[in-house]
Amino acid sequence: MQRSLNITQGMIDAYGRINGDNDIIHYDHDYAVERGFRGTLLHGPHMTALAADLGAQRYGEAWLYQGKLHTKWIGPVCPGDTFLAKLDESGAIEAQSGGKVVMVGSATLAE
Amino acid sequence: MTRPNEIKPREGDHPGTPYAAFQEGAELGPVSFDITPAIVQEYFDASQSDPELYRVDGRQAAAPNVILPYMTVPVYQSYPPIQGIVMAELEMSWHRPIWADETTRVTATGKILRKFEKRGRHYVQWEGRFNDVNGQPIATLLNTFHVPE
Repeated sequence: MQRSLNITQGMIDAYGRINGDNDIIHYDHDYAVERGFRGTLLHGPHMTALAADLGAQRYGEAWLYQGKLHTKWIGPVCPGDTFLAKLDESGAIEAQSGGKVVMVGSATLAE
Repeated sequence: MTRPNEIKPREGDHPGTPYAAFQEGAELGPVSFDITPAIVQEYFDASQSDPELYRVDGRQAAAPNVILPYMTVPVYQSYPPIQGIVMAELEMSWHRPIWADETTRVTATGKILRKFEKRGRHYVQWEGRFNDVNGQPIATLLNTFHVPE
């Protein structure tokens, strides 16, 4: 199963409002470019959240009591990207954005 | 309601913590906060989550990852963040639902496990535990983040 979203600065800003951070790497394009990125960054936990729905979809109610989510953020997600997260039969997660793998991990249930 | 920015030091508001200041073994917290129905709804919206996926016998639960905006509260209260921290890895387990129709009191604690350098970058790894009012775990996590020079 998979889900795809087109990332906008508005999405990053809305997540930033509830996240309560003030890290300019998410809001200041020039600073992010200076740090070597293509643009401002989607928050890592936001990326995780975009994949977490796949765990809920796979495991249903058990996800709320036994869900285990592992995500390793290995690449940037920037405004204008299409973010695509996939969950395979083994519970492995892989997400791509801007044509590159940006997050790997797993969504499983504790025994 | 406790919004994360009420209890989480923000980048630029305090002198940030350089890598050298993190102490392995340091205990974090406790810090308590309330996740309200309004926060649950705002998080659904901000994280593009589908509430229909989180119903139990007709009762609406939060996306369990609603804890994520509060995730760094215990570590940032002890070590206020500098600009440019980048998250590297997260392992999170959920143990009971956070319901969307009631306020959930959460108490967070944690511990700095280790700090290390990899490919010229500095990382801090810590563990967190988020308990309910009865001391039972709602969520536990292991998080690693990169602290820029």
